[in-house]
Amino acid sequence: MAILDVSGLKVHFPIKGGIFNRTIGHIKAVDDVSFSIEQGKTYGLVGESGSGKSTTGRAIVGLENITAGKILFEGEDITSRESKTKDMRKDIQMIFQDPYSSLNPRKRVRDIIAEPLRNYEKLTKNEEKQRVYELLELVGLNPESIWKFPHQFSGGQRQRIGVARAIALKPKLIIADEPVSALDVSVQAQVLNFMQDIQKELDLTYLFISHDLGVVEHMCDEIAIMYRGRYVEQGTREDIFENPQHIYTKRLIAAIPDINPRNRDAQYAFRQEVKREYENSFDDYFDAEGLAYNLQNISATHRVALPERG
Amino acid sequence: MEIKNVQMEAAKAENPTALRILWREIFRDKLAFISLIFLVLVTATVYGISIILDQDEIVKVDLFAIHQPPNDEFILGTDYGGRDVFGQLIIGTRNSLTIGFLVTLMSGIIGIVFGLVSGYFGGHIDNAMMRILDFFNVLPFLMIVIVFVSLVPKYNTVTFSLIMTVFLWMGIARLIRSKALQEKELDYVQASRTLGSSHFKIIFKEVMPNITSLIVVTMTLNLAANIGIESGLSFLGFGLPESTPSLGTLLSYATNPQTLESRWWIWIPAAILILMLMLAVRNVGEALRRAADSRQRRG
Repeated sequence: MAILDVSGLKVHFPIKGGIFNRTIGHIKAVDDVSFSIEQGKTYGLVGESGSGKSTTGRAIVGLENITAGKILFEGEDITSRESKTKDMRKDIQMIFQDPYSSLNPRKRVRDIIAEPLRNYEKLTKNEEKQRVYELLELVGLNPESIWKFPHQFSGGQRQRIGVARAIALKPKLIIADEPVSALDVSVQAQVLNFMQDIQKELDLTYLFISHDLGVVEHMCDEIAIMYRGRYVEQGTREDIFENPQHIYTKRLIAAIPDINPRNRDAQYAFRQEVKREYENSFDDYFDAEGLAYNLQNISATHRVALPERG
Repeated sequence: MEIKNVQMEAAKAENPTALRILWREIFRDKLAFISLIFLVLVTATVYGISIILDQDEIVKVDLFAIHQPPNDEFILGTDYGGRDVFGQLIIGTRNSLTIGFLVTLMSGIIGIVFGLVSGYFGGHIDNAMMRILDFFNVLPFLMIVIVFVSLVPKYNTVTFSLIMTVFLWMGIARLIRSKALQEKELDYVQASRTLGSSHFKIIFKEVMPNITSLIVVTMTLNLAANIGIESGLSFLGFGLPESTPSLGTLLSYATNPQTLESRWWIWIPAAILILMLMLAVRNVGEALRRAADSRQRRG
């Protein structure tokens, strides 16, 4: 059974303007997005800046008002935002993009990690401290870190504190919103591998949001590509990387850098070719407004936004 | 285990708390440090002596001792009612300081809570709360205080502080709101939401600690301003009555040209004390302000 089931999710933001600050239009940050994630899997959400991938994640965790659609978590409806769903939200946690602003600079590590525990579990001071030590050990930080403040850690260590906080309640689903994009490359690998380790250890499900295809290929079982709030293509890792069908996906994949300098000219030629194809066939793949079409099944796992056959 | 504990203690010690940074900044700045000592001394002396002094005894008119220059019995002489100026100075400073502290504290609490709630929730709530604030802002402060003074027959330091508070919380509320608006956009506030913290908890346990330095600084600078406002009102005759002396009432005796010219002992000490107190509070406040901003710190 799917642990998370999102159907027809829409998040629209009003544009205010004119006299009396009326609503004069909407930005469709997320427009009709549906997907489901299996227990223990990692689902990648990829797209350029402003494509609505982060908004999707924030809507699921309850930070954004949902315009339409339904979110089912373990079969239960968690679409509404407020207190009714508080206990279920405990099982969905989030890792934030920026490890510098996502930790309160005035709190010691101990209080940061204990915050979710204090909200949901009644622990004595000692039990709580014990749990914080366990979590710190799990994420590979020194026990004496509990007295330190966030600014005394490096970016990678801070992100580990963020992860420790997210897994403190033993959640089932973690929404990782570009968890490594603020870190340098050597630390990225470290944090990613560590996220995979704890995934196995705690049987976590990830919704992994990223703009970095290399990272996504490394982490995810299933991948969806978003463009301007809509799905462009969705499938298993193999579907997307071996057999991309949509021109937008093809172009994204062509843009992955190749570290071998001998291939530079060939890569360049290939990219130019894809670019030409993209420009020539843009009208075939996108509608009059430049948005993606509805998804069509092309295999059991693979869905692509193609125009109705005609 | 031993070593571990030592390391832990070390880790604990090398993280100066906000309070320690404030203290260090004051200590490094000679002027601010002297000002602080002066303030503590004055406060201690004034509150200490005024326990012994009897306010009713001091404000009792004694016609046989009018306008005496400083002598052995009256260290700072007497005023037109034969009242001891030194006693009035002590009681007056106490009253002025009490009003200053009370007004700062009360307007601070109202302003902080109002500003935090308004800024944190934003949107319609913010809009409505800011209109309420605007309403208080357009009320004519001086006029209403004058009306209040003539309407209420008997008032003392506490009631007078209350009426001042009603008109003095808006500045700090605005300041705190603007800071809260900035702060709530940061990820750690969002993170707290996803971790299940209530709005109340986020406002007072997450956002407020991050603006404590701003709060301390504004409150200190407000203290100086409030002592000044109280003295000013009393000077004009709309503050405390003569039966409750304050620095302002002593100063207002100087409106009599004869007193101004030839009876310096009545008003000069009060004038100097007001000046010194306000300057001292400001010096400390400025040092705190520097401590709150790491780019301006000296220590």
